[in-house]
Amino acid sequence: MNWAEVVAAMLPEHLLLAGICVLILVEVLMPKPRGALAIALAAVIAATAAAASLGFGGYEAAPFAGQFSVSPTRLLAKAVVLGLAIPVLLLSRDDFDDSRFHLLLLSSLYGTLLLLSADSFLTLFLGLELMSLPVYALVLLAFRRDDSAEAALKYLVLGGAATATFLMGVALLFGATGSLALPAFVEALAARDTLSTAAVVLIVVAFFLKAAVVPFHAWAPDAYEGASVPVTAYMATIIKAGVLLAVARLFGAADIPRGMVELLAALPLASMVWGNLAAIRQTSFRRMIAYSSIAHAGYLYFAFLGAGEGRLQAIVFYLLVYGLMNLAAFAALPRGRADATGDAAADDLSSLKGLFQRAPWAALVLAAAMLSLAGIPPLPGFVAKFLIFRNVIEAGYTAYAVIGLVASYLGIYFYLRVIQYAFMSEAAPAPALTGRALAASAALVCAVPALLIAVFPGWVIGRF
Amino acid sequence: MSEAAVLNAVLYLPVAGMVLLALVPAGRDALVRRIALWTMLLQFALAAWLYLRFDPAVAGLQFETRIPWIESWGVYYHVGLDGMNVLLVLLTAFLGPLVAAGAFSAITKDVKLFYAMVFFIQFAMLGTFVAQDLFLFYVFWETMLIPMFLIIGIWGGERRIYATLKFVLYTAAGSILMLAAVIYLVYSLHATTGIASFAFADLYRTQLPLGVQTWLLAAFALSFAIKVPMFPLHTWLPDAHVEAPTAGSVILAGVLLKMGTYGFLKLGFPLFPDATREFAPLVMTLAVVSIVYGACLALVQTDIKKIIAYSSISHLGYVMLGLASLDLLGVQGAIVQMVSHGLTSAGLFLMVGMIYERCHTRELAAYGGLAKLLPVYSVFFMILTLASVGLPTTSGFTGEFLVLLGAFNAAWPLYQQGDGYPLAVAVAAVSGVVLGALYMLWFAQRFLFGVAKVPHGPVPDLNLREKSILAAIAVGIFWLGLFPNEPMRKTELAAKQYRELVAATRAPVQAAVSLRPVAPQPDPLPARGAMGPAPTEATR
Repeated sequence: MNWAEVVAAMLPEHLLLAGICVLILVEVLMPKPRGALAIALAAVIAATAAAASLGFGGYEAAPFAGQFSVSPTRLLAKAVVLGLAIPVLLLSRDDFDDSRFHLLLLSSLYGTLLLLSADSFLTLFLGLELMSLPVYALVLLAFRRDDSAEAALKYLVLGGAATATFLMGVALLFGATGSLALPAFVEALAARDTLSTAAVVLIVVAFFLKAAVVPFHAWAPDAYEGASVPVTAYMATIIKAGVLLAVARLFGAADIPRGMVELLAALPLASMVWGNLAAIRQTSFRRMIAYSSIAHAGYLYFAFLGAGEGRLQAIVFYLLVYGLMNLAAFAALPRGRADATGDAAADDLSSLKGLFQRAPWAALVLAAAMLSLAGIPPLPGFVAKFLIFRNVIEAGYTAYAVIGLVASYLGIYFYLRVIQYAFMSEAAPAPALTGRALAASAALVCAVPALLIAVFPGWVIGRF
Repeated sequence: MSEAAVLNAVLYLPVAGMVLLALVPAGRDALVRRIALWTMLLQFALAAWLYLRFDPAVAGLQFETRIPWIESWGVYYHVGLDGMNVLLVLLTAFLGPLVAAGAFSAITKDVKLFYAMVFFIQFAMLGTFVAQDLFLFYVFWETMLIPMFLIIGIWGGERRIYATLKFVLYTAAGSILMLAAVIYLVYSLHATTGIASFAFADLYRTQLPLGVQTWLLAAFALSFAIKVPMFPLHTWLPDAHVEAPTAGSVILAGVLLKMGTYGFLKLGFPLFPDATREFAPLVMTLAVVSIVYGACLALVQTDIKKIIAYSSISHLGYVMLGLASLDLLGVQGAIVQMVSHGLTSAGLFLMVGMIYERCHTRELAAYGGLAKLLPVYSVFFMILTLASVGLPTTSGFTGEFLVLLGAFNAAWPLYQQGDGYPLAVAVAAVSGVVLGALYMLWFAQRFLFGVAKVPHGPVPDLNLREKSILAAIAVGIFWLGLFPNEPMRKTELAAKQYRELVAATRAPVQAAVSLRPVAPQPDPLPARGAMGPAPTEATR
């Protein structure tokens, strides 16, 4: 083992670990109230780790051969995930009176990074669980104790089911190929005997569950609604990114055989249609975002229909844009008092009525975020969606692409409804606005890169 | 180079205006209005300079800018003027200050956001006209939805939410399928020639079998026909017009509807010539149905805004008829008719807005004898009515006459060969002129003459601001009616080019070609090249 490599290749992970230690010390030693100290510390750590990932841009190393390695694309993916974590941390505001939130969040981030560097199913499993376990606790941390407990339990049970499915798939895969290295998955994909197919399907289904793809989506709306705003934001963006990037690692650039293509087209299509239709009926903002994220999981999985190299590019770009705009929406959302009733009132979509009168910039950011999620140009969400559908059509699946585009059309209405409330309705008795400065900085952290992507999409796509 | 900068300045002035408005502190509405008006006037001055400098003897693009935008896809920021868009750019820039000034007294709520949205839509519309790259065109085309959604939804009438959602959902439905067609078209170009490009000039060379052309044309045409709007996709228009604020109606009727006809002119028909010739009779039929049906509906309306809204459907039917006739005069007439309709409908909607501000009703029955009560108003109204009817010396005559001439030019040889259908269609179109005169003159008669009555009267006649706006429009109408040669010359080469493109055969001769274009062997681009790897059997 080369220790220099262990230090350098795992620098972002080490930084997170160090940050976690510092936060524990702060929690134990510093008297309360500590204000925004924990937020600031955690955000700085995430930013440093992101900078470290970007700084090692061209680095390639395998400190633990066969288990953990880094490459330029993986480091870039890590930078995207860590960068998205900054606005999530800024969103945490005064929701939490101690650093539990930040500790758990950084732990989960650590798991996500591990996941992105995994070379074997063991590391992958370790990363997946380390990413998920803190989130079960995070969901419980919300103010709405009853709902939160139910949401956390649902999430835990379904997460457990996903884990079990995944492990079963890995066990079968080991039986079929005799290997736990990630390339065994592609091998099994091509083999097409019963055992290999069962292994592949089980593993894919486990990731469908984690990413909330129809019909494995039912946990998401409850978990998203029950959790607090920053946790929901975290689940909708970074967890989704981690899961999809892991799937991208599994499939790599391999050709996807018939049968598997149909599975990878049908369920994501169902996700798009159902996610977009069900979102129309929601009255809670977080539930609506949950269904929106179910639809977006569909678009993301659609990228696998595209040919080899374009997949990862499309997924990373999509995740970045989707993450930025989703987080911008959460940052622009008016936040009520930091207790159960205040939170519930702020989560009600009708509380957005007349937002433009009260907070014009927040309303504009929210509108931009919604239009981007709907995929309407000139917002960056359009380019992201274009990239995915272009790959699908180029791979020859024109019919699937057309159905997918029609499904995305179904989603326009509920995104527009948010804008309708914010701009076109008479002001409703609104919850008092709190924590504006941090939210504004979070919105800025999201909006500036999103604007750059909108104006120079070619420059950003060229990086991946 | 420096001349191309002027075109970019015209395009980006509205963006600069939006930034400027964002810096204005809240509550300074008068300042906001002044900034909006002067920015628009400056834009018009630059656009007029471009128009005067436009050389009719040059085929192809002038004032061209072309820089890579998304290099790996072959997307360029490519804008320029040609005979097809030069008049429309001028029209858009001309209506800008009129819209801004027209809304001075009508818009009192969220003034800053309103003018920002007017700037936004001005930017999107100009961008759509000058774009010479399909990706860029699509971006601008879709962008237009956002400001229009807000303009109707925030400052509209009572049923504004319904109207604006209907507008957006209708138009987005068309464009989502167009997006699939755009991707497929560009991919086909790459697959057959190895060129990864979104440039119109390259796409005009795509070889496609007739079946594929038909599907792609259907997708493009759906999007464009909704925007025009053509029968039977017109039902969003009356709602949007009636509920929109005056400025919204003016933008909608004046420029936005031309996006649809311009789309057919620039993209829909020239990209898929074989399919276009196949379906030209259908398009002509739908155009004539739009003309007659729109006119009949206008005849029975009791809301004055609705009369003008339905007359738009009728008038844009002429544009479609001219384009589908594939005759040189017909195409030029269509372009002139677009501008003419832009002027007259904008003027009429502004006048409806002016009377509505005074009397707060749009019921035609509530008015009568305005000629006695509001003489200046009535004079302008009569000018616009006659222009809309197509009286010689006004712009409406030039447009409609040329279109009908073109339709007959195209139909006559076919008639002599024994195909009488196009001639019948052309004759039916002439009946639209009669119907047009009927509904407009009957409207003017009930509105301006008879027993003098006006709700909430007595009301003041036009003020200086309103007179200036309408005088400007009247000048435009007579300019196009009396001196059509100059603008016609500027469109001539482009109209010829359109005819050549639509006359070309681009379907491969062999019928055995599969629907999916064949990948070139070997692929001239690297694996991670412009359009990704060429499709192979394995990836299908």
